[in-house]
This record gives sequence, C-alpha cells and structure tokens, in this order.
Amino acid sequence: MHLRRSSKRNHAKGVPSFVPSSRETVGSSTGWRRGAREVWIFVTQRNTTLFACLILLALVVIVLIGPAVSPYDPNALAVSDRLHPPSSRHLFGTDNFGRDVLSRVLYGTRTTLLLALAISVFTLVFGVPVGVLCGYSDLAGTIGMRIVDAIMAFPAIMLALSLMAVFGKPGMQNVILAVGIVWVPRMVRVVYSATLSIRETTYVEAARAFGCSPLRIVIRHIVINLVSPVIVQVTFTFAFSVMEVAALGFLGVGLPPHVASWGGMMNEGRMYITRASWIIFFPGLFLAFSVLSFNLIGDALRDRLDPRLRRSV
Amino acid sequence: MLGFVLRRGFGMLISLLLVLTITFVLMQLIPGDPASVLLGANATPEQIADLKTTWGLDRPISTQFFYYLTNFLRGDLGQSLYYNQPVLGMLAARAETSLLLGALSLLVVVGIGIPAGIVAAVRRNSWTDRSLLLVALAGASIPSFWLGLMLMDLVAGILGWLPSSGYTSVLRTGNLGNLKNLVLPALALGFVNAALVARTARSSMLDVLQVDYITTARAKGLRESRVVVRHGLRNAAIPVVTVVSFVFASLVSGAVVTETVFSLPGIGSLIVESVLKRDYPVIQGVMLVVAALYVILNFLTDVAYAVLDPRIRAR
Repeated sequence: MHLRRSSKRNHAKGVPSFVPSSRETVGSSTGWRRGAREVWIFVTQRNTTLFACLILLALVVIVLIGPAVSPYDPNALAVSDRLHPPSSRHLFGTDNFGRDVLSRVLYGTRTTLLLALAISVFTLVFGVPVGVLCGYSDLAGTIGMRIVDAIMAFPAIMLALSLMAVFGKPGMQNVILAVGIVWVPRMVRVVYSATLSIRETTYVEAARAFGCSPLRIVIRHIVINLVSPVIVQVTFTFAFSVMEVAALGFLGVGLPPHVASWGGMMNEGRMYITRASWIIFFPGLFLAFSVLSFNLIGDALRDRLDPRLRRSV
Repeated sequence: MLGFVLRRGFGMLISLLLVLTITFVLMQLIPGDPASVLLGANATPEQIADLKTTWGLDRPISTQFFYYLTNFLRGDLGQSLYYNQPVLGMLAARAETSLLLGALSLLVVVGIGIPAGIVAAVRRNSWTDRSLLLVALAGASIPSFWLGLMLMDLVAGILGWLPSSGYTSVLRTGNLGNLKNLVLPALALGFVNAALVARTARSSMLDVLQVDYITTARAKGLRESRVVVRHGLRNAAIPVVTVVSFVFASLVSGAVVTETVFSLPGIGSLIVESVLKRDYPVIQGVMLVVAALYVILNFLTDVAYAVLDPRIRAR
C-alpha cells in the first residue's frame, strides 16, 4: 500500500516518481487490488526476492504460532537427555541441560524478531523527526550532524555493549534502548539527506510562496516524500538489529538466561562446541537466513523505490 | 591545500571533543552515586569520600568534565577497578593481538574479496559470476561469531589442523608459530567483510570494463590479462579503496565478538570482560581510544583523497 500511495503523491506533485509509472496504468481495478498487484509484481520479479519473502513468511508464521507447535517446553530440564544429537525425538538435539533445541529456536525466533521490530520502531519514532528537523533547519542540521558523526565514530557493537553496562541489568527494554540508540543516528542521517534534497524541490518552494506554514510544508510535502528512503532504511535497520541482538546475547549481556534467544543459546553452547555443535548450528542458521532475507528484501526495495539510494556502510 | 587541511583539522578537533563528551555523559548515566557504584558494595564511607575527592566527583559537573579533559590530554585514562592498573597500560598490553588480527583479516578481505570481484566482473553473468555473488551475499549475512564457532568445530575440532583458541604474544616469546592461532579468527572475521569488498570490486570493474579505453586496449592487441589488470583494475581501484577503509570500522566491531569466540587477549575481548565485570573506567577508556582513532583515521583518509584528487579540496 505504501508503494502505491507514495507514488501517487509524487505524481500529483509532478515530480519524477520513484516507482515506474507503467505499473500504475493497470486498468480500472480498485485501489486495493492495484496495491496487491504491485506487491505481487515486486515479490515475484526476482527469484531472490521471492526466496527472501518465503523465508520472511516462514519466520512470521513461526513468530505467530511457534510456541503452539513447539514440541517441548523451551525451559524444561531433562538432565538424562543432555547433549543428545539430533534424532527423531529431538529434531535439533538437546543442549547441556537437556532442553530441546528446536523448541528453544522457535521461541527464540519470536524473541529476536519482536525485539528487532521494537528497535526498528524506536529508530523510526526518534530518527525521522530529528532527521527532518536537521534537514529543514540549517542550524539544527549543523549541530545535529556533528553529534550524529560523533556517535557513529563508536563501533556499533561496542556502543551497544557499553550502554548495556550503563543500564545495569539485562532485559528486553534495555536491549531495545541500547541497540535503538546505536541505530537512531543512522536513520537521522538518511532522513537528513533526503530532506535536504526534497527541501530544494520546486513544489516545496511553491508551497512556501503560497504562504504555507513550515509545519504544513514539513508534514504535507516533506514527510510524505520520505516514505521510500525510510522504508528501505528500516529494512536494513531490522537486519542489523537481528544481528546485533544476537551478538549481545552471545556476549552474555542481552537477555536474562531463562529467556530463549538465538544469541543466548549460542552463548550457552560455546563450551560444548566440539562435543555438541548442533546447539550453536541451528540458532545460527536461523539467524543467518533471517538476516539474508532482510538484506535481500532491502536491496530489492531500494532498487525499486529509489535507485539513487546506495546502501551506506 | 593547507586551508583544506586546517578546515578538516578543525572539524576533527570538534569531533574529538564530542567523542570525549559522549564517553563522559555515558558514565554520568550510570544510575546511583558513581563513587559507590565504582567501588562496589563493600566500600566504606571513607573510601567513597576519598574517591570523590581524588576524581573531583564532589565538584560541579563542568569542573569534572574539565578534569576528565585534562587527564585525557595527559594520557591518563583512569584506573581499572578490577585489576587496579592504569587503563592505558591495559590497552597497550592488548594492542598487539588486535592489531595482528586486524592486519591478517584485512589480508583475507583484500586477498579474497578483490580477486573474487574481478573474476566475477570479467566473467559477467556466467556460472562463476552467479555462484560468487551468491557466496558474497551469504557471506554478508552470516554472523562472524557463528562462522568462527563452526570453523573452530570443523578445522580445529574434527580435522585438528589448527589450534582452536587462545594466543600468546609473538613479540614477547619470539615464536612466530603462535600466529597459527590467529588464522581461524582472521578467516572468520575477514570472510564476512570480503563479501562486501567483492561486491564493490565487481560493480566497479563492470563500470570500468565498458569504457572506451578498454576497447582501445583490446583493439591494439593487448593480452586480456593485461587489459584487466593494467587498464581495468587501476581505474576501478578508487571505490574499492574507499570500501576497504570502511571495512576497518567493521573489523574493529567484528573483533569484539571474534576475539571473545576464540579467547584472544585483544582490545575487543577487553571491553566485553569489562562490561561483564562492570569495570567502568576500562569501558570508558576503550570506547574513547577506539572512537578517537576512528576520527583521526577519517581525517587522514580525507587528506589522502585531497592529495590524490584536487577536485575534493575545493569542497
């Protein structure tokens, strides 16, 4: 739906649309249908996008119904069954406490992806307004970008780690805050540079000449045109957050030990890597596939919504 | 040129000041009274009062910041609470491992990434190109700590070819054989970043290979290898060099987890240990030094570009 709406807006304003216009002449079907068709074309256009969307779908299903279908309680201890290799009883084997790895991976999927979702929302809520403000006001821009650059001088994982140390306790809220603070400046930068270029367009100039208030210009003309770059950035933020949440868990500062998460599982399995590599192999595999799918979708969205955007490192 | 260097130099100083401010503010965020947090639960009131006076914690916050700034300029990053050693000395003791790991990883990044990118570009759309792209894409999505653990299991555990973890200083023992301990970590850390370099090298080579002077070079009968290396690679190098400099930051970040995976005594594992022990002065010191290095390197890169490309100076 986003794709359709933003492109229509752009057209109405007479600026080149990010979305090829050939897609928009799809006959007289209703708006909803046209939107669905747009999405379908996007998904099936490339094999890699289709593959990534299938993985994403599977992950969403796991998040929704994972706990219902998981064969065991993720925290049920069975000392007699400890370090069992994958078998028909335990498809992914068991860990050092005899807990079922498959069940923990399924629960961990929910934990990790929901955390990444919360972090993405956090960067959106704080990054977009600050970015727009910095892009719209020169003074705020000069000061804001200096601060953003300074924060980005700290390697991402180091900053997140130190923030976790400062916050004190491991826990969901602190992970969201720590990783969110690391990624907000990156969102600010993307929004800032997009706002700068939109600010100089003829239609913003025209709106100003008409006597529109700055607030109206920002909301009606700037924010609406930020949708494309922001969607792309959110996808990458999601991928990085998944990785970062897992890394924090792996380093032992993410979530409390009783919460099943991919990173936490890999941390606990480290001692047994040569004896029971399955404890680490499966959560890592899920992690790699989800990051891969978000990177692929991000790449495809970027090419489709705005070919001029290039992924910043 | 001098004007450019001065302008950028001034910008660098402001960034450094901001980096200092951020690390200072970060420690102010620790909940509770910093002195009692830092000294732990068993501290007597006298000890707490003593620490407050020595660190100036009983002074206004602006004075505290001034102390922090002057201490930094004198090279004093504070004392570790856990080891009771100066932070700067601890950093120096750990620098060898991190620098060697970084250099070896960079070797992997450049050694795998650039050739892979060139081969993919030269054989565009072939089977080789597609598989290389796929590997590069997978490489960019695999967490380096997972790859490290899997390599540890396979190469060190099952095959027994290389040692699995730990590292003893080559400088102190003079035993070059210790470098074997860094091979697996460097591979794990380097591979992930090599993927990024390979993708950039490929697209940059593809752009260059379509230019007229390549056609001319071919037309005058040069061997293909010479066309690719002498005419193509030299001109495709600029974006690749840029990415390699980005990779530095990524290597530092990756080192945090990789050093922990392989139990290497480096700066990355130092910060993890300090976070787990809540050794705040060490956390603050490591953050400060790494970020300051990054800011200074950025400045040097800017200057290097300006030397290479006069157009940049005008900006």
